[in-house]
Amino acid sequence: MTRIQAAHSRRQFLARWAGGFGASALGSLFAGQQKPHFPAKAKSVIFLFMEGGPSQVDLFDPKPALVKWNDQPLPDSLRGNARFAFIQPNAKVWASERTFRRQGASGIEVSDWLPHLAAKSDLITLVRSVVSDQVNHVPGQLMLQCGSPLAGRPSMGAWALYGLGTESQDLPGFVVLFSGGRAPQASGGIYTNGFLPSAYQGTPFRSSGDPVLHLSNAPGFDRAAQRQRIDLIRDLNEQHRLRTGDAEIASRVASYELAFRMQAEAPALLDLSKETAATRASYGLDSPDTRQFGSNCLLARRMVERGVRFILLSHASWDDHADLEKNHARNCLMTDQPAAALLEDLRQRGLLDSTLVVWGGEFGRTPMVQHENPTRPETRGRDHHPYAFSMWLAGGGIARGRVHGKTDDFGFGVAEDKVHVHDVQATILHCLGLDHEKLTFRFQGRDFRLTDVEGSVVKQILA
Amino acid sequence: MRSILIGIWAAGTVSAQTGEFFERSVRPVFAEQCQTCHNAKVRMGGLDLTSAEGVAKGAASGAVIDRADPGSSRLLRAIGYDGAIKMPPSGKLSDERIRAIRSWVRDGAAWPAGGAVPGATAFWSFVPPKAPVVPKLRNERWVRNDIDRFLAASWEAARVTPAAAAGRLTLLRRVTFDLTGLPPTPEQGSEFLADQSPQAFENLVERLLASPRYGERWGRHWLDVARYADSTGADEDHRYPHAWRYRDYVIDAFNRDLPYDRFVTEQIAGDRTGSIVATGFLALGPKLIAERDKVKAFYDIVDEQIDVVSRGILGLSISCARCHDHKFDPVSTRDYYSLAAIFASTKQLADAESNPSKLYFTPLGPAEEARRYQEHQAKIAALEKEIEAVYTKQRQRRAEKLRPRMADYMQAAWRVYAKGEKAEPVAGEAGLDAIAVQGWVRYLKPHGERIAHLDRWHAVTESTVGVLAAEYQEDYQREAAERRKSTARKYVGDNRFFTDVNGAASPFAIPEKLRDAMASPEAKQELASLRASLDELRRASPPEPPLACAVAEGKQVRQQVFRRGDHNQRGDTVPRAVPAILAVDGQPEFREGSGRLELARWLVSPGNPLTARVMVNRIWQWHFGEGLVRTPSNFGKTGEAPTHPELLDYLAVRFSESGWSIKAMHRLILSSNAYRMRSASSAAHEERDPENRLLARFPRRRLDAEEIRDALLSFDGALDLTVGGALQKMTEGNEKPFTNGRLGMDPDSTRRRTVYLPLRRSNLPGALALFDFVDSVTTAEVRSRTNVAPQALYLMNSPFVTERSASFAGKLLSGVPMPAARVERAYRTVFGRPPQADEIERDLHYIHGFPAGPNSLEAWASYCQALIASNEFIYVR
Repeated sequence: MTRIQAAHSRRQFLARWAGGFGASALGSLFAGQQKPHFPAKAKSVIFLFMEGGPSQVDLFDPKPALVKWNDQPLPDSLRGNARFAFIQPNAKVWASERTFRRQGASGIEVSDWLPHLAAKSDLITLVRSVVSDQVNHVPGQLMLQCGSPLAGRPSMGAWALYGLGTESQDLPGFVVLFSGGRAPQASGGIYTNGFLPSAYQGTPFRSSGDPVLHLSNAPGFDRAAQRQRIDLIRDLNEQHRLRTGDAEIASRVASYELAFRMQAEAPALLDLSKETAATRASYGLDSPDTRQFGSNCLLARRMVERGVRFILLSHASWDDHADLEKNHARNCLMTDQPAAALLEDLRQRGLLDSTLVVWGGEFGRTPMVQHENPTRPETRGRDHHPYAFSMWLAGGGIARGRVHGKTDDFGFGVAEDKVHVHDVQATILHCLGLDHEKLTFRFQGRDFRLTDVEGSVVKQILA
Repeated sequence: MRSILIGIWAAGTVSAQTGEFFERSVRPVFAEQCQTCHNAKVRMGGLDLTSAEGVAKGAASGAVIDRADPGSSRLLRAIGYDGAIKMPPSGKLSDERIRAIRSWVRDGAAWPAGGAVPGATAFWSFVPPKAPVVPKLRNERWVRNDIDRFLAASWEAARVTPAAAAGRLTLLRRVTFDLTGLPPTPEQGSEFLADQSPQAFENLVERLLASPRYGERWGRHWLDVARYADSTGADEDHRYPHAWRYRDYVIDAFNRDLPYDRFVTEQIAGDRTGSIVATGFLALGPKLIAERDKVKAFYDIVDEQIDVVSRGILGLSISCARCHDHKFDPVSTRDYYSLAAIFASTKQLADAESNPSKLYFTPLGPAEEARRYQEHQAKIAALEKEIEAVYTKQRQRRAEKLRPRMADYMQAAWRVYAKGEKAEPVAGEAGLDAIAVQGWVRYLKPHGERIAHLDRWHAVTESTVGVLAAEYQEDYQREAAERRKSTARKYVGDNRFFTDVNGAASPFAIPEKLRDAMASPEAKQELASLRASLDELRRASPPEPPLACAVAEGKQVRQQVFRRGDHNQRGDTVPRAVPAILAVDGQPEFREGSGRLELARWLVSPGNPLTARVMVNRIWQWHFGEGLVRTPSNFGKTGEAPTHPELLDYLAVRFSESGWSIKAMHRLILSSNAYRMRSASSAAHEERDPENRLLARFPRRRLDAEEIRDALLSFDGALDLTVGGALQKMTEGNEKPFTNGRLGMDPDSTRRRTVYLPLRRSNLPGALALFDFVDSVTTAEVRSRTNVAPQALYLMNSPFVTERSASFAGKLLSGVPMPAARVERAYRTVFGRPPQADEIERDLHYIHGFPAGPNSLEAWASYCQALIASNEFIYVR
C-alpha cells in the first residue's frame, strides 16, 4: 500500500470510528460544558491587558483642576487612609502634561497620546470609575483576571471556556499572547485553569520561535510521517480498546487529532502574509514600533474568525514609577494604532457585534508624582493607584460612544458610579450570556465563582 | 429563679397532644437540621437548640423566640429565609416543616423534657470509628480477606458481579507502578511468570515494599498533601534552599515504615521530639514576602498552617472560620483562633516583628558552627568582589580607549552580521579591535526578542547605517556629558543604550574567557595574588553546616479573636485548644509552650475520630484512584459520604490498633481480591454502577507526570537512581523576581527521579504541569488527570520524548538482532507484555514503510515514540 492509499483508508477508518463512540468523545472536548444562561451578545472576548497600570490622568481622565494644585500635596480630606506601594500620602500633585481632545460624535475626551483610539471613540464605552482592592502588581493582576488576589483561582478565560466551550475545532479555545518585552508579573496566574480541569487553561503562544510549544515536528520528520505515526497510535489504541473494552480512554485519540490539526492550522493562522497590504498597514505591521502588538491584535481577529473563545493580549509594562512621559509615550505608540485598527477591522467585517474587546490594567497611577528630580523633571513617574482608574470596553453587548462613572476633581477617588473589577468581570460574563452568580464550580466543598461573593453587572454600559 | 420559671414553662404546659406533635414533627427537624451546630457543646452563634433552656436563652445576639409576638420570632425569620440570617445554610426547609415549626412557635414553643433523639449531634465523621461487624456472605468463594467481604456484601445487594481476575502481567505492571512509580522490566516480567508458588504475588509485594523506590513514590503522595515545594511562591517566590531535607525525611519515613502517629507528631512538633526536619511540613508553605502589613503577613502564615493541618490530617476545612463561623461544619471563629493561638506561639520567621521577609533556617548542628561558616563565607564574598573590581577597572580602561570610534564599531558590526563579511578583515581594514567588533555583532544582531532601544538600529539600511551609527554615538556622548555635569550620582531615569554600552556586559567588554589573557601585566600580578588568597580562604572554609527550614517554639501569644479576620478588631481572648466538636475528652487548654506537641498528641489520640480515617482513606485512594470518601480532604458536611462506611471504619480501626503501620495497610489491601480484578468494564457495570462506586472492577488510571518522565528515563537504563540530596546548591536559583530564571531546574538537565527535582512554586516545570502535577499552593487531595492536545504535541514532538525514544530505539537496534524480537522487547518494556502475532506483523509493516529503511534508527525511534504516545503505555489497568 502506498502512503497516500494508507492515509486514505485511515481517514475512512476514522470516519467510521468517529460515528460511533468517538463522536461523543470528540464532541465533549470541543463543545461547552453548559449552554449560555441567556442569549449571548458576544461569542468571543479579546482582553487587551495593559500590565503594570497605565496612568488614567494622562490617558482617559482629564483633570484641569490639578493644574492649580500642581506641586502641592493633596488636600487631607481626599487622601483618607489610602495606602500606596512606594510614595508617601503627602506626595505632590503632578498635573498631566497631556492635551485632551474630543473627537467623534460622542465627544469622549481622550489624551493626545492616543490619536488613533480617539478617532474610534464612538465605538467604545469608557469607564472612568474602576476600582480594585489591590495595591501591588501580582495580587492586582490576579484580582483583575481571576477575581481574587490569591493564586489558585481560575482565570476569566478559563471560566468562559468552562461555561461555553469553544467553537474552534483546530485551535485551543483560550489563547494568550504577549508583547512589550516581558511577561506579566503574575505570569501564568493570569491564564490558569486554577481548580477547573486543565483543558480550560489558556494556551500561551510565544512571542518568538514556535508560537505553540512542540507544534513543529521533530527535525527530519515530515507531515506525512507524522500522519502515519498518528495512524499507528490510533491502531494501537483501537486494539487496546478492543482488548480492554474501555471506550472512555479511546477519546484520547481526539487530542491527537486536535494536535495534528493544530500543527496544520496554527501555521495558517500565524501566516499574516495572507492579509492585504492595507490591513497589515492599518495594524502597523510595517513599523517596528507597532509590529509586535499589531501582530497580536491581528492574530486575535483571525482567532475570533476561527471560533477561539477568549484571547488575552498582555502588554508589559506600563509600570512607570519614573520616566513616565517617555515610557508611556512609547507604550502608547506601540499599542494605540493596533488597538484602534482592531476595533475598525472587527467593525468592517461585522464581527464587532459578536466580539467583546476590553482594555485595561490591574490599576491606574497616582495623580501625585513619584521620583521627583528637580534637575531632570522628565524623569518623573507615578505610583500604583487602585482607587479610581479607567478601562474601556467595546463590541458585543456594550453601548457605543458612552462614558460611565466620574472621579473627583483630582482623579483620586470615584465621585459617581463606582465600578469594582468584580463588576467588570460580571459584565464580561453577562455579555457572553453567562450569569456570574450561576457560573460556579464546586471545589473543596464550596461553590466558587469568578466574582467571589460580589460583583454585579454594570447595566448602564450595556447596549 | 429564671431557670425555675423555664422549668415550669417547659414541663408544665405541654399537653399530651402538643407533646405528640412536637415529637413527631418538630424535634426531628431540629435534630436533623440544627443540632449539629446548635447544641450544648458547640453553640454556634451562642445558640443551643437541644433543650428548653437553650431555646429560652436564645443566641448571643438575642432571643430567638418573641413571646409577645411569636409570629415575628427571629427563629421563624431565619428558617423562612426572610432576613440576613438564613437557616439551615444547606438549604431552605420544606414548606411542610416550616409550617410545623411556625405552628409550634405560635403555640408557645413548648419543649418537653427528655426524649432527645439519640445521636442527634453525631455527624458520622465526628464519632470515633468502632470496629464493625464483618458481613457474612452467602457465597465466600470469591473472598480472600475481610475487605472483599465488605465489598461483596454491597454487590450482593446491588446484584452486580465482580470482574474476573486480572492476568499476571497486568497485575505485575499495576502493582509495580503503584508501589514504586516505575514500570516492571522485561526481566521482572519473566521472573514473576516463572514463580509458580502460591505466594508469588505476596513475595512480589514484599520485594517492592522493600525497594527504596517505594518511598520515592509514596513519599511523593504525601508531599502532595503537604503542598511541598522549594520556594515561597506567592509574590516573590524566594527559595527554601533546605527544603529537600524535609522531602528526604518524608521519603525515608515511608521507606522505614515510620508509624503514622509518629509521622504526624514529628511533622507538627518534631522540634520537641528530636526530628526538627519534619516540621518542614509547617514551615514550607507559600508565604507573602512583601506584604506591608506585618501582623497580617504573620497571621497569613498561621492560617496557611491551620489549613494544611486541618485539611491534610483531619480532613476538615477550618480556615473559613478565620472570618466567620463555618457555614456548614460546626467550627466557630473561637475554635479557629484557639488553633491560631498555637501556631502564633510558634517561631515562624527569623525576625517576624521587624523583617517578615527573612526566612528562618535552623542549624542542625551547633549554632556556633553555623555562625563560623557564615562569617567565613562573607570573607570569601569580599575577596571575590575585590577580584571583580580588578576586572572592572580593566574593562573600563579598554572601553575608554575604544569608545571614541563607537560609530565605526557599529558600522563594522553591521557589515559582519548583515552582509556576511568576516570580522577579522573588516576590523583590520578599519584599524579596529576585532574582539570588540565581535562584541558589537553580538549586541546589535537581532535575535528573536525585541529590544526597544535598538528598534531604530534594526531598521537600518545600507544608506542609513553611517548616519544612524553617528546618531547613536552622539546620543551616548550627550548622556555621558550630562551625567558628568550633574553631581547626583544615581539616575532612575534610564538611557538603556548608555547603560548597556557602559555596563559589565558592554560590547566593548572583554569576553569572559579572554579576561585573564588580556589583562595588563600589573593587573595579572594583582589577580594572581588575590586568587591565591581566595584559594587559601576557600580551602580553609568549614563545610556548609546542615540547615533546615523548620519551626521552633516562639513567644506565647495571648490570642484574641479577630473579628471578620481583621487583626485591628480584637474580640475575646481564647485558650490554646482543639475545636469543640472534636474534643472528646473536653477541651483542655494546652499549656506546654506553643501547645504544638499537645496538639500533635491529640491528633493521633485514640479518641480522635478523623485522623486514622482520613489516612486510611488516602492510602485506599492512592491504590484505587478514588477514596472510599471521594473528597479525601473534606470529611465534613459538604464532603461526600463514604461509599463503604463500614469498610472505612474497619480499616481505620485496624490501622490505629496495629501500630499505625502504612506498610501493613498496603499488605492488607494488596492481599484482597479487590486489588486483583480486571479493569475491564461490562455493560452491566456501566449500567448499574457507571462511576464504579461499588468497586466491582479495578479502576484504570492515567500515569502521573512523574511516572511518565521516570519511565521514559528507565527504558534504556538512563534513570539515575541516586537517593536524596540537593540538586541545587544553596546559593543557586536566587534570581531576580519575575523572570523565567525562577525555574527551579530544567528537568531535561538531569536523569534523577522526578521526585528529586527542585520545585519553584511560581514556575513549575512545564512538562510536569502539562500532565497535571499539583500546583503546590495548597494541600492537594487528588490529582486531576486531563487529556488535552498539548499533551499529544508533547509526546509527539518534544525534544525530551524524541530523544528518549531514539535512545531506547538505539538500544533495541544494538542489543536485539531480529526485528520481530525487537518488537517483542519494545512491548515488554513499554507495555509490560509480549505482543501478539498480528501486532508484530502490523508494527513491522510500519517500520518497513519508513523511507529511511527497516533497520534505520529513524524508523525504530519513530516506532518507539508511537508506543510511548499510545494509551497502553500511559494508562495502568
